[in-house]
Amino acid sequence: MALVLHSGSGNKNAFKALIAAEYTGVKVELTKNFEMGVSNKTPEFLKMNPLGKIPVLETPDGAVFESNAIARYVARLKDNNSLCGSSLIEYAHIEQWIDFSATEVDANIGRWLYPRLGFVPHVPVHEEHAIASLKRSLGALNTHLASNTYLVGHSVTLADIVMTCNLYFGFVRILTKSFTSEFPHVERYLWTMVNQPNFKKVIGEVKQAESVPPVQKKAAAPKEPKAKEVKKEAPKEAPKPKVEAPEEEEAPKPKPKNALDLLPPSKMILDEWKRLYSNTKTNFREIAIKGFWDMYDPEGYSLWFCNYKYNDENTVSFVTMNKVGGFLQRMDLCRKYAFGKMLVIGSTPPFKVKGLWLFRGQDIPKFVMDEVYDMELYEWTKVDLSDEAQKERVNAMIEDQEPFEGEELLDAKCFK
Amino acid sequence: MALVLHSGSGNKNAFKALIAAEYTGVKVELVKNFEMGVSNKTPEFLKMNPLGKIPVLETPDGAVFESNAIARYVARLKDNNSLCGSSLIEYGHIEQWIDFSATEVDANIARWLYPRLGFGGPHVPVLEEFAITSLKRSLGALNTHLAANTYLVGHSVTLADIVMTCNLYLGFVRILTKSFTSEFPHVERYLWTMAQKERVNAMIEDQEPFEGEELLDAKCFK
Repeated sequence: MALVLHSGSGNKNAFKALIAAEYTGVKVELTKNFEMGVSNKTPEFLKMNPLGKIPVLETPDGAVFESNAIARYVARLKDNNSLCGSSLIEYAHIEQWIDFSATEVDANIGRWLYPRLGFVPHVPVHEEHAIASLKRSLGALNTHLASNTYLVGHSVTLADIVMTCNLYFGFVRILTKSFTSEFPHVERYLWTMVNQPNFKKVIGEVKQAESVPPVQKKAAAPKEPKAKEVKKEAPKEAPKPKVEAPEEEEAPKPKPKNALDLLPPSKMILDEWKRLYSNTKTNFREIAIKGFWDMYDPEGYSLWFCNYKYNDENTVSFVTMNKVGGFLQRMDLCRKYAFGKMLVIGSTPPFKVKGLWLFRGQDIPKFVMDEVYDMELYEWTKVDLSDEAQKERVNAMIEDQEPFEGEELLDAKCFK
Repeated sequence: MALVLHSGSGNKNAFKALIAAEYTGVKVELVKNFEMGVSNKTPEFLKMNPLGKIPVLETPDGAVFESNAIARYVARLKDNNSLCGSSLIEYGHIEQWIDFSATEVDANIARWLYPRLGFGGPHVPVLEEFAITSLKRSLGALNTHLAANTYLVGHSVTLADIVMTCNLYLGFVRILTKSFTSEFPHVERYLWTMAQKERVNAMIEDQEPFEGEELLDAKCFK
């Protein structure tokens, strides 16, 4: 009598148990007519897995959830098979690589991929972290596979089945050839494994992703249960993935016409100011600052002071400067419409971060508030040009005046 | 001859193997003079675990990393012990709850806690909301199971209880206040019961449940 595996088709987590079953000769069948979001919400299903996630294996002795646990159970249904290793230390190493593939490979691929698919908000600095972690993990895996064909011993074990399914998912969804070419032994390993007959029977054809999926505009709202559920969901297509539309990996430039382009024309040309700022080497105040006020158009542009809200966190100088650097990187999407100076102030911690920004239009552009999460970490006040003191503060910030408000400048960064 | 576990003291991932060893009578000792960031970066260490992470168990037959894998190995050093279940389905369920405690409990506690401690990326409020929502769903499911069960599997402590307790324990002492956990009374009962068991209690540090809401000083994480 076959065991029933509850899952949609094409789900890499279901593949693990199905491939293990091919090796052990155990009969495991996918349930028929599974409907994601429906079949796994019935009271019967929730009795099997109160979390409502898939896959779930139904056995005569009870249900089992968690894909790696299911795969282990299926593997052990047949005594003394090669999937489980032939000694205690082999068993331990199999478990080691199964867990590694979960915490180091699968988790990091997920952190990179799912925000881009819109299941959780996309936060660029977190994506950087995920990618850096993934590279570290794949590097360690690559080192191991340089001298090993299989993860443990000299034949396929459960560790290879689980690792391959997790890697395969990454390869077809987000890891392009240029990314994986840094890990040639991992590449060799993956292609060897997916072409083993028992793997091929379950997974089918494997085509590597040609590009990283673009960031979806709509992220699921935090309370939406779908966000967590879809983590276990099958890639919507069959094992043959569609070719992704090629797109920039960087923060997407707004394709529709930017609202700021629709403003009435201004006599101030931002690029001219940026040129003047950059090219003025001496007599900065007489030439650049004077030039700025000559060309400034208070109707077409606005000036803003910003003040970092959490200055007490700024206890380490280079961390603080990195924070500002990251902010300016994320502002790249408004380069055509903005000029900014960010000052890191103080000779001892905690350092204060303050800035001056020139934006096209009378308000801080909405797309900047929406796309750059650092914006909400600062207090923003519009400069009142009728106040001489504020005007002078603008000048001081443009020219990196020291001392600034009585203190040394640790750093001054310019966004132009 | 004792097995050597490379880790600093007070590490909940090391506790898993140490507690399992208490149950099976296997001798596992923490390495002496471990210095985080130094001892795990030496070439000798990286030969054991190329990722340089802890804990790592040194055995006569080779090194093992990944805390749950180490715990499983230690558990199986003694044949036919109760930690591993007495049937195939019990084994399946033990593995199920071990993985659940990793993906659903540990991962979500980490996503909430570590940004507040300054690790693993900046603190981003909407991502924290996600983590908390996920954690509540997971603890809800666990609570449902524990409403009718004293132990995760069967009627005595198994490896699943050891791993789950260590992961929950980290949450309870670092970030889960009483007002948060009171929504999951069976999880509370479970955790406090497990923490009082002699072999568990001997290993974990005596810590009070987390009382405050304020951000934690990174220094106290050692």
